[in-house]
Amino acid sequence: MMGPGNRILIIDDDRELGEMLTEFLAPDRFELDACLDGEDGLRALERQSYDLLILDVMLPGANGIDVLKRLRQSSDIPVIMLTARGDDVDRILGLEFGADDYLAKPFNPRELLARIKAILRRSRPTVSRAGPLTVGAIQMDTRSRRVAAGGVPLRLTGTEFELLRCLAESPGDVVSKERLSNQVLGRKYMPYDRSIDTHISNVRRKLADAGVANPSIRSRRGVGYCLLVDA
Amino acid sequence: MRSLLLRIFVAFWSIIVITIVIAAALGYTYAERARATVQNFEVSEAMLEASAALRAGGREGLAEWLRSLPGPAVSLIYVLDDRGRDLLDRRLPPPVAIAMRRFGEPRARRPAPPREFGNLRPARPFTQLVGPDGHVYTFFVLPPQSALGRWLTERGVVGVVILALLVSGAISYLLARAISEPIRRFRESAVAIAEGNLDTRVTDRVGHRRDEIGLLAEDFDRMADELQRAWQRQTELTRNVSHELRSPLARLRVALELVRRKSGDLPELDRIETETGRLDGLIGRLLEFSRLDADPHEPRARVDLDELVQSVVEDVRYEYGQNDRESRIAFVSDGRERSAAFSGYPNALRSGLENVLRNAMQHGSEKGEVRVRVRRDGSDVVLTVADRGGGVPEDELDAIFEPFYRASRQSPTPRPGSGLGLAIAARAIAMNGGSLTAANVADGLSVEIRLPLEG
Repeated sequence: MMGPGNRILIIDDDRELGEMLTEFLAPDRFELDACLDGEDGLRALERQSYDLLILDVMLPGANGIDVLKRLRQSSDIPVIMLTARGDDVDRILGLEFGADDYLAKPFNPRELLARIKAILRRSRPTVSRAGPLTVGAIQMDTRSRRVAAGGVPLRLTGTEFELLRCLAESPGDVVSKERLSNQVLGRKYMPYDRSIDTHISNVRRKLADAGVANPSIRSRRGVGYCLLVDA
Repeated sequence: MRSLLLRIFVAFWSIIVITIVIAAALGYTYAERARATVQNFEVSEAMLEASAALRAGGREGLAEWLRSLPGPAVSLIYVLDDRGRDLLDRRLPPPVAIAMRRFGEPRARRPAPPREFGNLRPARPFTQLVGPDGHVYTFFVLPPQSALGRWLTERGVVGVVILALLVSGAISYLLARAISEPIRRFRESAVAIAEGNLDTRVTDRVGHRRDEIGLLAEDFDRMADELQRAWQRQTELTRNVSHELRSPLARLRVALELVRRKSGDLPELDRIETETGRLDGLIGRLLEFSRLDADPHEPRARVDLDELVQSVVEDVRYEYGQNDRESRIAFVSDGRERSAAFSGYPNALRSGLENVLRNAMQHGSEKGEVRVRVRRDGSDVVLTVADRGGGVPEDELDAIFEPFYRASRQSPTPRPGSGLGLAIAARAIAMNGGSLTAANVADGLSVEIRLPLEG
């Protein structure tokens, strides 16, 4: 199912953790490189192409959020943030600055593996539902994973793209958070998890920045979200 | 009289007023004595004596006689020569001067005004003696009772007294303020520090002074410095410990998986994993708790309280609904606070409410539903979370907000709680300017979160 030799970079100052994770991920044919600080990591990302980045928020020198901000100026590589448990703010900031998912550290490595797989699956072009999708001013090319709003290309992360597509497939219908979580994040919806809300607000912001007022993403309190086209 | 300012002011002023009164009384006594002396002084007898003195010693003899009179009498008798000058060369007091002006120089006898109807015929309130040298000496005897009255009218003593009262009042007030004002500022600083503004300093408020108040302010500030440092050290320690514990725990979990892979699933490994998870949860809460001590880490924003409560209720329902089908949460809102958005720190607020609700679910959900209610109370929004878990002893109601406090209502079987939930809630709510109180109701505990809408 997985392509051969997925390359993953982890930026974390814990060298031993990196070594253990390399060992842990090897059977699933993931190649893990480790960098101990943000500068190193950014250089490694320029030198080589990776399929996914695991980024710890707590780094010596520049913190993970800053690394993410700089990275997002030039790259759309999928990112999983490792945040401190009990630190909602870092988590939300991470998602706002374009991380695809987060995991509270210390994490269960099986959970990490599941998230890696989920993200890689959704960042790969899909074959099944090919074809362009147009809702109001939004045109989505699901094969090349490109979005344009009124002809102007929009830059969305893989997660944001999937989220928008999920809503765009049935405009006007409310899609539950549970379904969005399952389909987009590849995991069960958990209480206290604001990931979907944060990703949605990112998409909203990007649509607003592009001047798209129609369609708009509406929230249905306690249920989910829907993409609404005004006639 | 509760205010120090008022007390000091009244004390000072009364002392000054009493001093003035005593001084006035002494002056009055003196004047009374003078008056008594003068009353015993017989004018006709004095005239005989004066006449004798004039005959014997001429002008010098008369002056000598005048000088020999008792003190108060001298001040009342003026003897003027032909040129209108006092024999003792004294300045003429106003009544004498007026009489002189009105009747001209004593020697120049003015003709009496014509006897016509309606004309005034001023009396001549003076006696004259002709000396052996032919000079005329005119005697003025001032009315004796005027000794105090004259003094009063001459100096305008009523005005002086009023002025003295005003000036002394102002001085007393300034003095009292100079003492009580720094104390008031001290109090403000102490209150601010007690409210958690540990960077408050008194010297910023009383200024840098070199007196005792200035020294006290410096000492007070040193104490505040120490308090702030200790507080920061504690917060940092908690945070660092939590962060440092994260790394070995993360390695432990990966190692655990590696072992599992090599040796297969063992029940002991599950146990290790469970305990690691508990430790992890505890560290997370500890970190959350210490975070709430420092700055909020998020900008203030407007929060729709009704929506927030609704979404927290859903989260908690979801969390507990998975393991326990019996658990129920009833949510009631009178709906009026939707228009009254609250300005605060949304994440801290959410975390506070979450922890209160989770606590209620842990302790009281088995025996019945947990009721969440939102209502307006004046300018406050009040959120109440009531469980039916039997409540806590009355004297422990405040202690349940302390970290790691385990209320004695807890059953012997260990609960999943960390002992930090309500402590986190208390801090999160306080950060938002609200207050958290607990009370026993019917058959459980009711926790009330009160948030002020303005300010």
